[in-house]
Amino acid sequence: MPGIREIQEIEIIIEDIGGGGGNEPPAGGDEGDGDKRRRPGPPSSRRYYIAITLGIVSIFMFFMALTSAFLVRRTANDWVPVHLPMVIWLNTVILLASSATLELARRRLAIADLDGFRTFWRATTALGIFFLAGQLVVWHQLAKQGIYVAVNPASSFFYIFTAAHGLHIVGGVAALLYVLFRAFEKTSISRALAAEITSYYWHFMDGLWLFLLALLYPGK
Amino acid sequence: MVTYDSGANAPEAPQPGFLRRLLFHTGHKAIGLQYLWLALFSVFIGMITSLVMRIHLVWPGAPMPLFSGFGNMPERYAALTLLHGSLMVFVVLTAAPQAGLGSYLLPIQIGARELAFPTLNMLAFWATVASVLGITAAFFLQPEAGITLWAACVALFCAASLASALNFSVTTIDLRAKGMTLPRLPITVWAWFLNAILGMLIFSILLAACVYLLTDRILGTHFFSAAGFLSGMPQSSRQPGFPAVWHRLFWFFAQAQVYVAMLPCFGITTHLLSTFSRKPVWAHRAVVLALCGVGLFGFCVWGQHMFASGMNPYSGLVFSLLAASLGLPASILVLSWFGTLWNAKIRLTTAMLFALGFVSLFLTGGLSGLILARHDLTAAVNDDFITGHFHLVMGVAATFAMLGALFFWFPKMLGRRLDERLGKIHFWLTFAGVYCVFMPMHWLGLISHSRISPGTPLAAIAAGSFLRYFTTVATLVTIAAQVLFLINFVGTLLRRKKAAQENPWRAATLEWSLPSPPALENFAAGEPTVYRGAYEFSAPHFEEDFVPQHLPPAASELRAQSQTTRGASVPRTTLPAETG
Repeated sequence: MPGIREIQEIEIIIEDIGGGGGNEPPAGGDEGDGDKRRRPGPPSSRRYYIAITLGIVSIFMFFMALTSAFLVRRTANDWVPVHLPMVIWLNTVILLASSATLELARRRLAIADLDGFRTFWRATTALGIFFLAGQLVVWHQLAKQGIYVAVNPASSFFYIFTAAHGLHIVGGVAALLYVLFRAFEKTSISRALAAEITSYYWHFMDGLWLFLLALLYPGK
Repeated sequence: MVTYDSGANAPEAPQPGFLRRLLFHTGHKAIGLQYLWLALFSVFIGMITSLVMRIHLVWPGAPMPLFSGFGNMPERYAALTLLHGSLMVFVVLTAAPQAGLGSYLLPIQIGARELAFPTLNMLAFWATVASVLGITAAFFLQPEAGITLWAACVALFCAASLASALNFSVTTIDLRAKGMTLPRLPITVWAWFLNAILGMLIFSILLAACVYLLTDRILGTHFFSAAGFLSGMPQSSRQPGFPAVWHRLFWFFAQAQVYVAMLPCFGITTHLLSTFSRKPVWAHRAVVLALCGVGLFGFCVWGQHMFASGMNPYSGLVFSLLAASLGLPASILVLSWFGTLWNAKIRLTTAMLFALGFVSLFLTGGLSGLILARHDLTAAVNDDFITGHFHLVMGVAATFAMLGALFFWFPKMLGRRLDERLGKIHFWLTFAGVYCVFMPMHWLGLISHSRISPGTPLAAIAAGSFLRYFTTVATLVTIAAQVLFLINFVGTLLRRKKAAQENPWRAATLEWSLPSPPALENFAAGEPTVYRGAYEFSAPHFEEDFVPQHLPPAASELRAQSQTTRGASVPRTTLPAETG
């Protein structure tokens, strides 16, 4: 039991610090959707809902802090907007698709179709990794145009935002892999709750990306 | 780059050979104690650095061990200030009262067996250790590398604090024992909880600032190097070069820490005052609201200063400290403290003395803060005044609250009591000492300015030099008095005899229902049920003058309640549903 718990909590760390989908439910709670009852013996599942909520708020504040500096700095005279490569739109579509497959996977899980769940969950994970790769391509294309991190304030912000978001996505992919490969039968963790918590984080990252994209989009 | 997830691989602190058992211990009590040990270590390092600084101010020529070998003087001095400030503020004022005492006491006081995420707590602790080591190491590096390392370590500290804050919030929301409703929470738990919520917001922002700072330093971006930032600096640190950067860094982070550091101290002080006055907290609900207010105002004002007004460190610190954030809520707190003390059968234990000392220092510091809150008057004083104010209200007052907490919970944590007589001598020496150190500093701040005006320049300078001398001697004496504490502390630890009672102070909160020190799982016999508030002292219908929280309502109590229909507002027997 102690060993198992440690692994779980290390996973949580990955989520709420590096990225996030807290995902350790206790024994029971297999009806992932909203089992918020307090259980006397094993730890309740409620703590994971609270943790992911607070974690998301915390991450949101982090990005808001980054954003506020961006908004202030953008008004300066030396601002040269970065023109986003086309690949970034493809990445956005990939990320949105991953959210969709994640929900499909959870729907499969709700009707106890474990194979279907695994298929869609793998697709989600793969899409997440594709997104990260796509972001690297974006960086590469910008670098080919001579737009590096320290070239001008706009490019600095662009790289910082995408890097910070990318790191959080890495945490999300870690959580996805965790749910995929963890042998939930042997643990006190419910797969449904783990998937649910991870999905909250992933959708949040999805929305966050749209927000950042809107922010970084220079317009015409 | 974003180094803030490196907390996961942080454990690099002591040698694995010794204390290996403790290295991966996830018990909240063990980790709480480890935080306190870390703070004790840091506070002595911090005191030594302050001593070096004071001696240097009075006898600049004196050879100093930390000055001589490391390059030129101004840089060393500035780096020393940063080391002193960061150790004291990060470890002693931020980590110790919140993560240290909180880790140990919060789960017990709410009737939980553990924190919600014990491993997260352990990782947060080792990340803190790593950041403290890094901050200390930064002092010995060349300035360029040192500042970068410092910023990275602060980022790590922010990440650790975030993890800890998340843990505390979830624990308080989710793991309260049956019957531990929000109104029944001890004020200490309220303070830790609110502080955790505040910390999650503040440290996220600090982390973002660290990211910008680090990319500036490592990747050559220009987030902070804009001219506007430096021009907002106070006169004293506007000179170019590294000393300015060191100064800037410290205030940039310190002003956020003010709120984070003071909240737990408010909670501890309220708790101690009520316990040793044998009276309930006066205006309990108002106190909780005031604590919320400190958190809310503190966050808003700091955030506004950080990101709206060009990050002028001094104005942010000074204005937000008292004028906006601590003004109204602090008055409510002070009123409640006096209301609690009023007409009470006060027991002057050492813990109580330190709590009273906190009130005194907080009031004194607050008065000088009123002056600083006036913009025009701020221009009339210089750094000495600000240093005096800042240390009195924040540093020393918070240390007093910490010491009070230490004397109070020492029997519970370590199973034996600190010596009261030695403790009282230590208190009075320290109390007198800090006033002798920081009051003249206020004068210095006023005098050195009057030197500019065409008054009596020579006299002022002479008085200033005498005051500096006096301050330094007082610092020496005060620090020497801390040896008494060390003797008391180590002597008590070495003593075999354990405290017989599990509740020496006759306090009502849950931790005193456990043996001292508590067992590994806290409430091994089953989770307790809470029937009443945390401060039911001198209640009628009871033989003892306190009523433990877990004591079911007695028959006489129920009878009395049914007789007085007035008391219908306090439904003691019902167990309200959990609020989440």
